[in-house]
Amino acid sequence: MVMAAKQGDGHHHTGRYLDQERVSKALNLAEEMGATYAEVRLVALSETSIAMRDGALERAIPGQELGMTMRVLANGSWGVYSTTDLHSLNKHIESTTRLAKAVAKRRSSSDSPIGLADVPVIQDEQHWKSDVDVRYADLETKIGHMNDLYSGAIGSEHIVSVRTGWSDEHIHTELMTTEGMDRVWSFQRTLMHGTVTARDQGEVVSYRTRHGGQGGLELMDTIDTVALGEQAQKAALRLLTAKRAPSGKLPLIADRDLTGVYIHEALGHPCEADLVAAGDSCLDGKLGQQIGNDIVTVVDDPTMMGGYGAYPVDDEGVNTRAKILIKNGVLTEYLNHRETAHHFGVEPNAGARAQDGLHHPMVRMSNTMIQGGTHSDMDELMEDIDHGVFACGTRGGQVDTGRGSFQFAAQEAWLIENGELTTPLKDVSVSGLTLEILKNVDGLTKDARLASPGFCGKGQTVPVGDGGPIMRIREALVG
Amino acid sequence: MLPDGAEERLLANANVIANACNQAGAQQWDIVGFQAYGQQLDIEAGKVTMAAGGGEGGFGVRVVQNGRFGFAHMVDVTGAEKAVQQAIKIAAMSPKIDGFVLPSEQDAAPVAGLFDSAILDVQPETLLEQADALLASVASLDQRAVVTGGGLGVSATASILMTSEGIESSGVTTSHGLGVQVTIDVDGGLTSSYQGESSRSLMNDVPACVEQAVHWAQITQHPIAMDSGAVDAPVLFTSEGIAPLFSMVVPPAMTGEKLVRKESFWSGKQNQRVLADHLSIVDEGRLEGGMSSGARDGEGVPRRQQTLINDGHLVGSLWSTRDAAQQVAEGRIEAAISTGSASAGGHQSPPSTGCTELMLSSKRGGQSWDQLVEQMDNGFIVNGVMGAHTANPTSGDFSVTTSSILRVVDGEVMGPLKQAGLSGNLARSLNQKVVLGDDARCQGSYSSGRMHLPAVLLYDELRINPA
Repeated sequence: MVMAAKQGDGHHHTGRYLDQERVSKALNLAEEMGATYAEVRLVALSETSIAMRDGALERAIPGQELGMTMRVLANGSWGVYSTTDLHSLNKHIESTTRLAKAVAKRRSSSDSPIGLADVPVIQDEQHWKSDVDVRYADLETKIGHMNDLYSGAIGSEHIVSVRTGWSDEHIHTELMTTEGMDRVWSFQRTLMHGTVTARDQGEVVSYRTRHGGQGGLELMDTIDTVALGEQAQKAALRLLTAKRAPSGKLPLIADRDLTGVYIHEALGHPCEADLVAAGDSCLDGKLGQQIGNDIVTVVDDPTMMGGYGAYPVDDEGVNTRAKILIKNGVLTEYLNHRETAHHFGVEPNAGARAQDGLHHPMVRMSNTMIQGGTHSDMDELMEDIDHGVFACGTRGGQVDTGRGSFQFAAQEAWLIENGELTTPLKDVSVSGLTLEILKNVDGLTKDARLASPGFCGKGQTVPVGDGGPIMRIREALVG
Repeated sequence: MLPDGAEERLLANANVIANACNQAGAQQWDIVGFQAYGQQLDIEAGKVTMAAGGGEGGFGVRVVQNGRFGFAHMVDVTGAEKAVQQAIKIAAMSPKIDGFVLPSEQDAAPVAGLFDSAILDVQPETLLEQADALLASVASLDQRAVVTGGGLGVSATASILMTSEGIESSGVTTSHGLGVQVTIDVDGGLTSSYQGESSRSLMNDVPACVEQAVHWAQITQHPIAMDSGAVDAPVLFTSEGIAPLFSMVVPPAMTGEKLVRKESFWSGKQNQRVLADHLSIVDEGRLEGGMSSGARDGEGVPRRQQTLINDGHLVGSLWSTRDAAQQVAEGRIEAAISTGSASAGGHQSPPSTGCTELMLSSKRGGQSWDQLVEQMDNGFIVNGVMGAHTANPTSGDFSVTTSSILRVVDGEVMGPLKQAGLSGNLARSLNQKVVLGDDARCQGSYSSGRMHLPAVLLYDELRINPA
């Protein structure tokens, strides 16, 4: 039987789900069995997702999800158990501790046991309140915002469909550890997106737009959603007549969306210390070295309120702070959780995130941005480019962290000729090598900010924010 | 691994939700429930770094009221009444689809090979031994090779589908999966390759994909120089190389809804040639031992074998009950019925339309790898791409990157390139000169279902852009 330990109206739940006394006993049991560390982390989600097509409701899905993951570190190895069944905690703790010991037995003498860096032991509650709580907002209001986007996107005979989507979630997390950590935190995320498909004879194209972040429905008041739809419509119509991109090494100007994806893929992932420790990062051994142009400073900051990757406490209970990954081109810090911080002999910097209550924490990014530069605007970045590409909007990216090669794709682009935007282009992708292309960033506008919200997959999927200023790369492989 | 009576408990809990539906006056309803248990090992830096186990599950309920539907999900049936009320409320807000009713019970013969009791008996120690064997196998193939990521695991899932129309289907499926990222780092020249394998049955031996991962990490060492500059050239994709692009672009184009809404590059081309005239694509919904096949689809309609492309001609399409009813009601097509293609992705969302086990074949048969390389003469071999998820499924256009690419000159492999862009239009490429290999292998998917693909040699609409 799947059952929460503490029943009630989950939709309006504000108290604890974990029975602290039972969890404490279970954690004590793990210690008695020889565990050096154990934790129980529970996540309760209240969520709504909505899909509409051409202004008609396709599906609206309210849901409650509950998951719990326990991690046990014994003899220098991890055992993990995840479940939606909160009962029989002691049984799971026992088997998980045995599992960790079984893994430890197979560790070779040349491998170091896993350890955890020390962190402050805190008992508290942190709740980021939304101005308009997603749990209490009615479906009609959410649909109203989606219809605004839809109304902006229609109006051309070439638009064959407009899909709009919505997701919001209230995330409530509880963490208890053998060290005495007992933290509760909660926050919300809201996201609206639209995909506009246009067709002209045999040509079919689509353009996607997104808006949202950490917070409730108040996020929709920060943007003109009708205009968002209008912009998506115009972009889709432009793509109908856009030409195939030139191939080759060209100067590239990227808008904030692409700048964000670029820095996420090219630098953020190789900075994840679990990959570095596993020998799967091109930035292994590069701390303190100049790896980029000295105009490049990159931060990853979960405290950036409103960013889709913001969170009050990381999933190991560590207080959040901004991490400066690159300072003036010099690699200064990896993203760490407690295990990698111990491995590298540094302090954890709150990089531990789990997809939900059924997954264990991994090293992940939050809100990742290049900081602004000195150029006043895009015209100034473009003026001395004879033949190049301006690319904007993102269709995602991917990286091979070990080789340090990456790829990201733009939603639309223009040819730059003699300092002017000319021919619209489509299906532009950019690829390169991290250690080469960071040195090729030679222009940044002053105004850095987060761009569209996104998601990052690394076995688990987590929401992230990316962004920066408008960026110029001296030479990039465009295809 | 799977607790005794898991299926019976699912059934009992589904009955609780069914009662809630009946008491709330729902006209029609269907309930899906899952309870999955599994064990897995993570491997990093050449060693097992974590052993994990767990169980998860939940229920989804869909109600249909006068052609309007609503859905809600829950982990705990104590919330059934509320969930059903929410679903009914949402149904009232949804547009009416004339003619949309849930499917009636039809006989559906079981599909063999979806369950292996040996997997239920797997102990953590067994998995650890398999991990040892895997790591030893990699080391024996190449002392320089390190498994920098991946892992292996087993799972068992009990599931149930119960509907107001008399469908009651339950069962247990099992799976065993493995994935390895093999890296070779010599003098700073790091290369890597990822390969994976999954099965409904216990895999007792180290699968051949592990050797493939080592092989590709080896042969992409020591890249050769090539004059930078884009070239239009033939590309020979391995099964692993073509699968991400193929699964992103081809299956969505064959869903009935996209075809009639003119959102597919094959819209309006029913019974016309859309692929090279020797190619066929079949969705084997009842494939024995398939990871996506089964007796029934996510709405309870019997799965079937379905020919979608025959000798290059588009002859079929994929439909769920709801999609079919909606497109007929909205006048985009005169008649359509479910093809048993509703995929239930879990308990948190209602079924969507997708393929199951998609097979690409040629009536000319397949050529050996050596024959394909010789026939290509001058071109490139690609074993993996980055960014396949950025391909455009509405147009077939893609622009990706590969670091797993070899240059072929005069039928001879000259060596690897460090990195190259690869762009083109897959739909148009597949409609021109195509030669298939004789080594069809099963690959995962970026969309739905699994792809059974051989090596594919494409000649047209492709551009290679060496870094």
